[in-house]
Amino acid sequence: MRRIIRRRELVADDARYAGEESAPGTRMVQPVAQFIAALGAGQASGSAAAVLIGPADEVEVLAPHLARLNLIVVEFPKIGEGRGYSQARMLRQRYGYTGELRARGAIKRDQLFFLARCGFDSFDLDPAEDLQASLGSFNDFSVAYQDGSDAVVQVRRRAGAA
Amino acid sequence: MYRYDHIDQTLVNERVAQFRDQTRRFLAGELSEDEFRPLRLRNGLYIQRYAPMLRVSIPYGLLSTVQLRMLAHIARTYDRDYGHFTTRQNIQYNWPALERVPDILADLASVQMHAIQTSGNCIRNITSDHLAGVAPDEIADPRPYCEIIRQWAALHPEFSYLPRKFKIAVTASPADRAAVEIHDVGVRLRRGSKGEIGFEILAGGGLGRTPILGKVIRRFLPEADLLAYLTAILRVYNRYGRRDNIHKARIKILLRALGAEEFTRQVEQEFRAGREFAPSLAAQEVERMRGFFAPPLYQAIDDSTPAIGTSSSGNPAYDAWLRYNTRRHKVTGYRVVFVSLKKHGEAPGDMSGEQMDALAGLADRVSFGLVRVTHDQNLVLADVPQSTLPGVWRELDALGLATPNIGTLTDMICCPGLDFCSLANAGSIDVAKQIHARFDDLDYLYDLGPVEIKMSGCMNACGHHHIGHIGILGVDKHGKEWYQITIGGSSTGPAALGEVIGPSVPKDQVADTIARLLEVYVRERLGDHERFVDAVRRIGIEPFQERVYETHHSAA
Repeated sequence: MRRIIRRRELVADDARYAGEESAPGTRMVQPVAQFIAALGAGQASGSAAAVLIGPADEVEVLAPHLARLNLIVVEFPKIGEGRGYSQARMLRQRYGYTGELRARGAIKRDQLFFLARCGFDSFDLDPAEDLQASLGSFNDFSVAYQDGSDAVVQVRRRAGAA
Repeated sequence: MYRYDHIDQTLVNERVAQFRDQTRRFLAGELSEDEFRPLRLRNGLYIQRYAPMLRVSIPYGLLSTVQLRMLAHIARTYDRDYGHFTTRQNIQYNWPALERVPDILADLASVQMHAIQTSGNCIRNITSDHLAGVAPDEIADPRPYCEIIRQWAALHPEFSYLPRKFKIAVTASPADRAAVEIHDVGVRLRRGSKGEIGFEILAGGGLGRTPILGKVIRRFLPEADLLAYLTAILRVYNRYGRRDNIHKARIKILLRALGAEEFTRQVEQEFRAGREFAPSLAAQEVERMRGFFAPPLYQAIDDSTPAIGTSSSGNPAYDAWLRYNTRRHKVTGYRVVFVSLKKHGEAPGDMSGEQMDALAGLADRVSFGLVRVTHDQNLVLADVPQSTLPGVWRELDALGLATPNIGTLTDMICCPGLDFCSLANAGSIDVAKQIHARFDDLDYLYDLGPVEIKMSGCMNACGHHHIGHIGILGVDKHGKEWYQITIGGSSTGPAALGEVIGPSVPKDQVADTIARLLEVYVRERLGDHERFVDAVRRIGIEPFQERVYETHHSAA
């Protein structure tokens, strides 16, 4: 059984992607282009949808449709890919997305602290990573200089700042 | 200088613990070399030709003597008793053992230092003017802003996996001793119409294999918007900078591809859209930060001390040092003293543990316990009472740190080159020695006036060769070391990239080639005040080319 981290706990992966078989209790994640095309053709289902975005996808195209989504999966195809951090920050801050936001791909525990600060709340890590040990990495730092989505650290408040 | 509080100290301590665990996982085989590389690089650790190299951050070049003594301790305990000061105001250790690096970081943390983001594809050490706070020509002290940017950039959750490295420099002086035009982002302090402080923002500068000078993208940015604007620039770069080719990944390539106008439009649009979520810089915070950089308690020294350079002490060596290695201070009775790390026979920028300890003692006695690192790879004692200068000279001279060559031809910038770096094509340190040997007549050097030689062992341009009045670049030809020469570059007033004079020359002819360039200059210059670089600008490179390639040169 494939497992992911969701809100700092190990749970069964409920997502299925193109080419994978769906099973009871799982949901299909559509590529963003397919989701947008279906909307345009009036074929969107009424229930909440799940989409997958790649590093080059613009989060702006999702902005008008966020109410229809309860899972956005952001792909990190290789080590060092960093666009997903900005995608997450924009979805959470600028567009006010409150559903589940998942980071998936070439991710090691060393990135979890930053990813959580940017607004990700579930994580589908590199299969070779030790998931149990990875949970500790959310606590790599107890302080930060920047505001973040993750409220568990002490942030340096700039005097006079809101 | 800035002092850590509980939050700053906790952050560096936790970073040490994190890196210790990453190193342990690598040594235990839990992380592959490919997986460990980005983790160690963002903490300044390279695997070099012979051993690891650790680069330690010296924010905007400012060091306390407690910190300098710790750098000496690290050199002695973990390395071969020396360190190498770099063109980005940092220090590098060339021989630490990988498994002991976490201990070095713990030692650094004990004196409020770290190696965070000294390498890797993230925001690097913030650099600034080495005369900040004492220069007579500055608008305001730039260091409070440097520290504000340093904290904002440290372990930034969104901007830690950028397409490529990202360098920010801040200057407050028209002379721009921080070379902001060759940085990814340059910040120039400006006064607004009501006398308030704001910033001119440049973007897209950089050297490397595609040298480009930065473009002004904002004429005047209000102080409160500094971090919000930087956030906007970084976000546009993080989203749209190229990631498919390491040689085209710097922000300068994005800016060139989009055009400055379109790039600026995107940044401004992002700035407006993201401003409400971005950090705002409150005046109280700037004031609080300014408190850390308040001027030291200068004594009122009357004007009766004879002005520097008006009379001879009767000791020509001291007079030469006074003239070349000290500079005017904004407070009467004080002088800025340069500590030359360009002694003949030594690699430029190298300093032994013993020298560091002794200099720390001197700085405690005569310069309020602070030392600065310049991007020309020298050190500075910024606040020295004039009355102590003869004693300061004697001590520095005894330590081999008083070579009176600041600003002259032998005050060369030089990367470590083949001797250490696995990227280098050339033994830049060897060539530096060759140049020192050839130009050992100080009177000749003084007659030439300011000539900046900058040398890089490969086209990554750590030695900033493009902006040297004379630039030297090591190139590999069929396994042999050759050198390409450029002239007419400058880091300031205005910045310019040098032009290649022609085919590269073999190693043993570098000093001879420089001699020929200088011959043309001496013949053509309009009086003593026309510098080498001014003469090149006026007459062009042809007369220099003719002389260099006219006869026996076996150019290839």
